[in-house]
Amino acid sequence: MISLNDFLIVSAVLFCIGLYMIVSKRNAIQILIGIELMLNAAILNLVAFGKYDRFFNGGQMFALFAIVLAAATTAVALAIILNVYRQYKTIDPGRIDKLGDE
Amino acid sequence: MNILTLLIFTPILFGVIVAVLPSAWRGSFKYITLLATLVQLGLSVWIYCNFKTGAGFGGVNHESQFQFVQKLPWIDLDLGTMGKMQIDYFVGIDGLSIALLVMTSLILVIAALASWEIKSNLKGFFVLFLILDMAVIGVFCSLDFFLFYIFYELMLLPLYFLIGMWGGARREYAAIKFFLYTLFGSVFMLLVMVGLYLSVKDPATGNHTFNMVQMMNPANYEPGSVFSALSHQTIFGFPARAVGFVVLFIAFAIKVPVVPLHTWLPDAHVEAPTPVSIILAGILLKVGGYGIIRVCISIFPDIASADAYWLGLLGVISILYGAMNALAQKDLKRMIAYSSVSHMGFVLLGIASQTAEGISGAVMQMVSHGFLSTMLFFLAGVVYNRVHDRGIGHFRGLASIMPQYAAFVMIAFFASLGLPGFSAFIGEAFSLMGAFKSHSVNGLLPYWMAVCGSVGILLGAAYFLWTLQRMFFGQVNLKGGSVWQTALTDLNFHEKITLVPLALLVLVLGLMPSLVFDKVNDSVLALVQFLQFK
Amino acid sequence: MKTITLEEFLNDIDTLTIHFTLAAVLLPLLAFIINFSLPGRLHKLAGWVSTIAILLSCIISASVFSKVWNSHHVHQQMLWFTIGDTKVYAGVLLNNLSVLMLLLVNFIALPVHIYSTAYMKDDEGYNRYFAYLSFFCFSMLALVVADNLVLFYTFWELVGFSSYLLIGFWFTRDSAVQANKKAFIMNRVGDIGLLTAIIILFAQFHTFDISQLFADKGVISQSVIQGGTWIAPLGNMPAVWQYIACGGLFLAVAAKSAQFPLHTWLPDAMEGPTSISALIHAATMVAAGVFLLGRVYPLFNGAELTILALIGCFTAFMAATIALTQNDLKRILAYSTISQLGFMIMAMGIGAYASSLFHLATHAFFKCLLFLVAGIVIHQMAHIKKDNSLDIDPQNILTMGGLRKKLPLTFIAAIIGGLALVGLPLTSGYLSKDGILIQAFEWSDGKSGFYKIIPITAVLTTWLTAFYVARLILKVFFGELKVLSDHPGIQIHIGDGGWRYKLPLILLAVCCLFPLFSVSPLLYEQAWLFQGLTLTIRAVHANIYHTLIPVSVNILSVLVIYGAYMMYVKRKGNIFLQSGFLYRLSAGEWYFDRIYNSVIVKPILFLSTAAFWIDRTIIDGFINALADIGIKIAKLCAWIDHHIIDGFLNLLVVIVEAVGNFARRFQGGKVQYYLFSMLVIVLLLFILKTVF
Repeated sequence: MISLNDFLIVSAVLFCIGLYMIVSKRNAIQILIGIELMLNAAILNLVAFGKYDRFFNGGQMFALFAIVLAAATTAVALAIILNVYRQYKTIDPGRIDKLGDE
Repeated sequence: MNILTLLIFTPILFGVIVAVLPSAWRGSFKYITLLATLVQLGLSVWIYCNFKTGAGFGGVNHESQFQFVQKLPWIDLDLGTMGKMQIDYFVGIDGLSIALLVMTSLILVIAALASWEIKSNLKGFFVLFLILDMAVIGVFCSLDFFLFYIFYELMLLPLYFLIGMWGGARREYAAIKFFLYTLFGSVFMLLVMVGLYLSVKDPATGNHTFNMVQMMNPANYEPGSVFSALSHQTIFGFPARAVGFVVLFIAFAIKVPVVPLHTWLPDAHVEAPTPVSIILAGILLKVGGYGIIRVCISIFPDIASADAYWLGLLGVISILYGAMNALAQKDLKRMIAYSSVSHMGFVLLGIASQTAEGISGAVMQMVSHGFLSTMLFFLAGVVYNRVHDRGIGHFRGLASIMPQYAAFVMIAFFASLGLPGFSAFIGEAFSLMGAFKSHSVNGLLPYWMAVCGSVGILLGAAYFLWTLQRMFFGQVNLKGGSVWQTALTDLNFHEKITLVPLALLVLVLGLMPSLVFDKVNDSVLALVQFLQFK
Repeated sequence: MKTITLEEFLNDIDTLTIHFTLAAVLLPLLAFIINFSLPGRLHKLAGWVSTIAILLSCIISASVFSKVWNSHHVHQQMLWFTIGDTKVYAGVLLNNLSVLMLLLVNFIALPVHIYSTAYMKDDEGYNRYFAYLSFFCFSMLALVVADNLVLFYTFWELVGFSSYLLIGFWFTRDSAVQANKKAFIMNRVGDIGLLTAIIILFAQFHTFDISQLFADKGVISQSVIQGGTWIAPLGNMPAVWQYIACGGLFLAVAAKSAQFPLHTWLPDAMEGPTSISALIHAATMVAAGVFLLGRVYPLFNGAELTILALIGCFTAFMAATIALTQNDLKRILAYSTISQLGFMIMAMGIGAYASSLFHLATHAFFKCLLFLVAGIVIHQMAHIKKDNSLDIDPQNILTMGGLRKKLPLTFIAAIIGGLALVGLPLTSGYLSKDGILIQAFEWSDGKSGFYKIIPITAVLTTWLTAFYVARLILKVFFGELKVLSDHPGIQIHIGDGGWRYKLPLILLAVCCLFPLFSVSPLLYEQAWLFQGLTLTIRAVHANIYHTLIPVSVNILSVLVIYGAYMMYVKRKGNIFLQSGFLYRLSAGEWYFDRIYNSVIVKPILFLSTAAFWIDRTIIDGFINALADIGIKIAKLCAWIDHHIIDGFLNLLVVIVEAVGNFARRFQGGKVQYYLFSMLVIVLLLFILKTVF
């Protein structure tokens, strides 16, 4: 039988992988993926904890809402990355150090 | 406008003009400087003519008896519980300063004329010259110790640069030696000055004061203060007043200079350009003598009497030791420099005697030596300018190729060795007379000092005549051969108009010493009375 | 009508006399000034300017002399300057002594001036010579009338100064320059003595006035020495200072009048022109010393006078012995001057005040005459030398001889002068010198045998004088002309010279005979000059000395002269061994120059070098050592500054820098770092929270 703990463990593993990616990757896309992973870990937690609200299914509802939001932010983030790439010819966040106008 | 103030600050006005004018006009600087000194001379002659004499104008320790006085509050600070700090701009003269003042202005004219020889960096030279001019006049006029000290220190700086920048081969060494020597003296003078300030209160205002005339009155000393005669304070185990006197004396003795504090003088004189030598020997040494009379023995009369023996002894040693050294010299300027040491010894001996004859003689000797050393250094400069050599042994028979020059040298030499008819004789003879009389009048100096001092006159004849014989007489024989023979032309017009007034003055003062004594006498009597009264 | 009281009348006369005196004194000064300002082409006028000035001065002083001599003192003064409470006056004091000197100086100077116009006519420095000459006369004239000691000292030194100028007149000659330096410095020794004496007298008596000090009722006569203290009306002083004052005065006299031990300048002083020697030796320079002694005579007491007599006597004898062997014409005369001055000083010492001054006057004439003669002889010898291009010394008497035929007038003058110098009867020298000898014997009479040494030495000296004078005249004027026999065939065109040579000789020669001074040719007491100067009227001693001494002395003198004649002219044996010790001592002038050089001059020069060494090495060394120590301390400070104080600061900086660098790393501007740090910190917080 799959218990809540199993979900939480998967979620924690996902979160840690995401966090690791964010901290260690030199590619903005990969960092974005890391963020998505962390989001998904959170969503997994929402869904898992949703069993305690069988009446309103708040967990599932909030998870759906978060997925939509994540998709939107990912789109915006990709657009920013694209622009950054145009500007700097790189998407390594460590090398993007000029924020102001030239 | 007070005439003394005008006299003091005239040169600085001209100095500003020189500083402002563009360097392209450098040819005019010497004329501007000459004009400044001439204006000053005119003013001082006016002062001399209008200087009143009589028992009521003795000066010395009576503030009301000074003449041409100007007293303005200058620095006025309220220090709360410590009272008020007040420094006055206080100038005035009495008989002790008038003769030296006139002499100084005249020598400055001569020095300005001698500055014709300066060829480099004229603006700097003349501006420094005029600052120096202001400072020396200021020293002779100030009656406020603080003001006196400022002028006294102000003399140092221009001299340092004048020697260090326009001097001879070893000028840096000479300049720094001179500067450190004199600074050494004056730094300690500053301490005594502050000590005196803290000890003396002006009875009129109740504030501490730098007024030198007030410092001479024992009643003005605060009971229990450092320099009060009654409190018997000590510094390092010595009586405070004795320490104060000795420190002030050392400061002025360096200027005079008194053996063994004299070794800056030959170096400074030899390396300095002619006009600076003239100012050094003619005026600066007198500042030392004047300081001893005006400051040392007037403020510490008790100590001056107690230590008179040592002052006299130093005077005698200076006379003999300076003369001995002069005899050994091979450089004309150095010989003259040592003769200055010897001649200034008479001044110290005369002052130490504390008799009217001695002090008048000392003042006379200072005036006379002012003119004579000016003349001697100018003459040494003449030959140096022509061939850039001053070795006594390098010349021979100069009288044959430069007869007029030789004539002036003879006048200057014989006047310096104390030939009667010239002013130096009066000065030396009466210094010695005072020194001898001292034993029976106030018992300060033993008889033998005057007798030993007179041997200096004999040695003076020896070194001057020997120099005359070696350099001027005999067959012509120059180290530089025919090149020198053509270079050594006789005096030109400009040199003659410089020398003639000096020669005339020493002669006139020798024949009519009353020109000096009449003005000096009342103050000297007042001083002698003050010293005896203590 | 205004009535004039006798007193006012006398005052007017006195004022007039004073004016005359001033004119007499100042005329030569005027000549000096004029001569110096003469333009180049008028140089030849200089001689006449000076001569006319001295002539006028001579006439004026003769009138002053006639007014003052034996009548009364004239003394007028005005305030010169005030120093302290002391008023110093300048004025003129005329009494017998000063008017005599005034006249004498002028009267000697006049022939010398006339003579000089011819003697110096070819010299380049003609006007300079006369300027100096006039100045010399002015100084001397002013000296004799000065009324106070400061003024006296002034002119005393000016006399020395002008003699310095004249001795070194030919300043390109080394020997002349050496001589004038020596003269001036030796005189300076005397000046120091005089100055010391003046200072002592001033401190003791509070006045410089000669008449107040030395008059009959002057303050000096009121002072006594008692128990080691010198008591004066205005103060006391240890007695030793009275001796020092006298010693100082003696030094002054010795220096000017060329007495032992300060006599060596005078023989060297002949480096000047001969006419100047005549003046120096006769009336101006050397007379000043005796004159000073005459002025300050009351100061000396018995013992001091005896010392004076001994020194004078010794000098006279010593100089006479030196004169015996000299070969230089002027040097012989110079030593004879020293010897005669010794007589005068000795006379002063034995109390023969009037005789001393009398001898001064007579000596002035015959010595001046002899020098002028010497000048002519030397001039003529120089002519011979120049005409024939010979290498001889024109002053050496060994090259001369037989000149009496060539220079007859000069010869006669020399004979008269020589006889007067020896002191044979009918000459003025006899009157004055025998007076001294007689009084010397009288003086020694009441004393122990030791004191006899003075008169006996004096008589001995007289005979020596007779010998060297005879030798001089015989060698120069008798026999054959040595130059001619050594160089046969040379041209000799010489003669006495023009009237400017002859007139002074005749004038002076006449004055060397007795009639000018005394109606009686044999008795010195009869001389007006002696009577006018005698201090106290003494009873005339009609003792045996007055006949015995003149007779014996003069007979022996004549014998000595005869002996010399036999020796030098007839060549009958020479009694002198040229190699003996005495001969060498005499020819070497008693080695005074050598002794002075090694005992005084060299040590002083050594001392001066030592003083300079002290200056450079010890005093400057001390200063430099101080400076070195200062620099060392400064370097030490710099080291401490650099390594310790700065080191501490640097350490702080290093620490801060390290911390900063460490912290900086957190601020890299990299988002991932921030995130990582945040993570770490959050984790740490959790861990900490868990642990504690």
